[in-house]
Amino acid sequence: MNHKETTKKYYLELEKFDSDLKKLESNNELHLSLNDPYQLHDLCEFLKKNFELRLLSIICSDEQKLNGKFKIRHIFGSDVDDFFLFVISSIDSSHIYFPSIYDVFPSSILYEREINDMFGLIAKENPNIKPLILHDFPNDVFPLRKNFKLNNIVQGNLKQFEFTPITGEGVCEIPVGPIHAGIIEPGHFRFSVVGETIINLETRLGYTHKGIEKLAESMPINDVVFLSERISGDESVANSVAFCQAVEKIAQLTIPKKAQQIRLLFAELERIYNHFGTMGGILADIGFPYGASRLNILKEQMMQLNEKLSGSRILFGINQIGGVKANITDEMLTCIHYVLDDAFQTFEKTFDLLKSNSSVMDRLRNTGIIEKQTARDFGLVGISSRCIGIETDARHTHPYGYYPSINLKQKTPRETMEHQVELQKQIGDVLSRFMNRVNDLRQSKNIIDSITTMENDELSIQMNGELTPYSSGLGYTESHRGETLHWVMIGEHNSIFRYKIRTASFSNWPIIEHAVLNNIVADFPVINKSFDFSYSGNDL
Amino acid sequence: MSDFSMLEYGLGTLQALLIIVLSPLIVGVMRKIKAKSQKRTGSGIFQPYYDIIKLLRKDEIVSDQSSWIFRYTPWINFVSTASAAFFIPVFLVYSPFGVVGDILLVVGLFALGRFFTMLAGLDVASSFGGLGSSREMMVSALLEPALFMTIFVIALFYGGTNISTIVSSANDMSILIVPGVLFALIAFFIIMMAETGKLPFDNPSTHLELTMIHESMILEYSGKNLALMEWSHAIKQMILFTLFVDIFFTWNFVEQISLVGISIGILFFIAKVSALASFTAFIETRVAKWRLFRVSDLIAMAISSSMIGVIFFFL
Repeated sequence: MNHKETTKKYYLELEKFDSDLKKLESNNELHLSLNDPYQLHDLCEFLKKNFELRLLSIICSDEQKLNGKFKIRHIFGSDVDDFFLFVISSIDSSHIYFPSIYDVFPSSILYEREINDMFGLIAKENPNIKPLILHDFPNDVFPLRKNFKLNNIVQGNLKQFEFTPITGEGVCEIPVGPIHAGIIEPGHFRFSVVGETIINLETRLGYTHKGIEKLAESMPINDVVFLSERISGDESVANSVAFCQAVEKIAQLTIPKKAQQIRLLFAELERIYNHFGTMGGILADIGFPYGASRLNILKEQMMQLNEKLSGSRILFGINQIGGVKANITDEMLTCIHYVLDDAFQTFEKTFDLLKSNSSVMDRLRNTGIIEKQTARDFGLVGISSRCIGIETDARHTHPYGYYPSINLKQKTPRETMEHQVELQKQIGDVLSRFMNRVNDLRQSKNIIDSITTMENDELSIQMNGELTPYSSGLGYTESHRGETLHWVMIGEHNSIFRYKIRTASFSNWPIIEHAVLNNIVADFPVINKSFDFSYSGNDL
Repeated sequence: MSDFSMLEYGLGTLQALLIIVLSPLIVGVMRKIKAKSQKRTGSGIFQPYYDIIKLLRKDEIVSDQSSWIFRYTPWINFVSTASAAFFIPVFLVYSPFGVVGDILLVVGLFALGRFFTMLAGLDVASSFGGLGSSREMMVSALLEPALFMTIFVIALFYGGTNISTIVSSANDMSILIVPGVLFALIAFFIIMMAETGKLPFDNPSTHLELTMIHESMILEYSGKNLALMEWSHAIKQMILFTLFVDIFFTWNFVEQISLVGISIGILFFIAKVSALASFTAFIETRVAKWRLFRVSDLIAMAISSSMIGVIFFFL
């Protein structure tokens, strides 16, 4: 099915929703404008009942200069079709309330808290409207509103953050972080424990808030590519590709085949080195340094390959709008295949050793189990959702770049069946996340192996002229953590009007509070590492 | 028994000093082996000495929430483990100080040090200290009966709890004649791993404050006090290793007191302990840390193994 047919399918269904909607379609996006924001709740219930859609993000933008209103866009995505649904509601600037949809899509709580922080708009019914990202920040200053300038000095009454008190006989609180004993990112975890068993965990993140979304609005569009690489250092390719794709979608650029290939190769190389690193981290956290060191050696090999190919160990400076900057020649491709073959041979050996080590398997199995329903409610993506048998993979559902051109071996019906059975067997523990990473690695290897020659065209094409002001586009990639969304709205003279980033880490973080319940404190590090969320990618 | 010559007292002191002085070396050797198993170069085997010297020169920071317990604990720890070293035969089959106390006293001195370490963990009112102390209490409450069981098996076979008696009769009898002792060996090895905080019980090299046992109790120490804590931990490990080789691998004790004999004895002692340390380090590379609440299974194994030893004695 092409975009038109898919959109039409949804369009016809949506006709049944009895209300006056303005509909607009572009590519795989369908935009619905609600005249009355308070219809939103009904519409969401309608969507929930009739479609299998997931809430991807809620984007707010301050468009007071244009039409005196705040626009709130609820983005829904399908895990079956290549389709995105934007529900746009306008909030009058005199009225700071907008309807919450937490009872239909519980994951909205997070986005509504974010909007409350950044725009000062309040989701009325949301039961938990604590500050999310901004700490020690004035109550009445909202950084993403247009009247907040970058050089504003902030002062005023500071926001208060209070942890939910958990009381009872024998309940102790353990505050951990934001500064940890190891060299990791900052985050505060407040455990409530009875003995060793965790009965509640509250996380407080936002210590690495850098104001990326605001910063982008002041930068030339070509420089924002660099900014997007720095959202989270270990997913630089995924983020910059998502940003470039968003802009290219607005400009209706089709980048050269070779550039697409290079983007894909680097994206998969990034996935491989990160999975090696994370699996090494999991082993280090269960106290198996023997295996951890072997996987870390593999990670190092991959990073050295990265450096050889692009000059950057963490793959900075690869992408630009309209293509790529780093070239991969046929000789370099042979080198990639050679290094990967070597690394995967070692990896398979190490993996066999791990599988046969009962003390390792015992620590991984049944630790940090998440429920399927909770995973759906939170709208988990990537490894975190696949570990419980929910398949979300932007590379398959929303094929982008060179992914549609890759000819992987078609699955036979029997294999498809086996795959479904395998999915049902996933119980969402640390072990299934570990195994999913192994599968992901092998799949990445196959994808890279399927590219045997490089296309013979340009590295990039120029973007001509000025982009239409106030047009927007959604870019998406699958990072090693999961689906990454970048929404860009262009302002006047090729500036950025609004840049909204939703990394996989942002939508996945809350699950940690559920995964640790009824586990012991000593198992928290390995549970946390098995998800491998980025703090920087969450705090932005 | 009490008429030892001055020479013998001198040799006894030498034995204790050997344990105290060589203990960081064994730590260094084990770290080196583990580093090699992880394909790292690792620091030199003398690094623990440099660490202790470095720490002794450093300033320390003491929480203003802490009491005298926190400040005295390193000393109590050091003195209790160091005095335990005086009861351990190293190259002679006896220790001249053995008259004063037996193996139960050694265990008691360890318990004293551990008791104060746990108090110090609680004393600083940091959440990790308390966490470490509660875990240590759990493990030690299980460990101590296991240790006593093992000691009694050995005492039954070798006729007494006095270490000198045990070692000299172990030296006279071959281990093959008393197969029951083999079960004590298994139990003692497990207990030794647990007492010294080795994998799979505790991961001494972790940076994760939430998974530590021993390390999280001494997390608040710095400078001289940390040096003392580290050193006394090393001495305790050395004492356990020495006891292990004394009881189960009794080759080449010094029969006649002569300079050559003693030198050879010392060399053999170092070789035996290093071999044991290497073996322990090797075991450590093979296992992941066990789940905290499964540690009791391992200790139960030690207890049942010594039970079998007891049964063998009465068969």
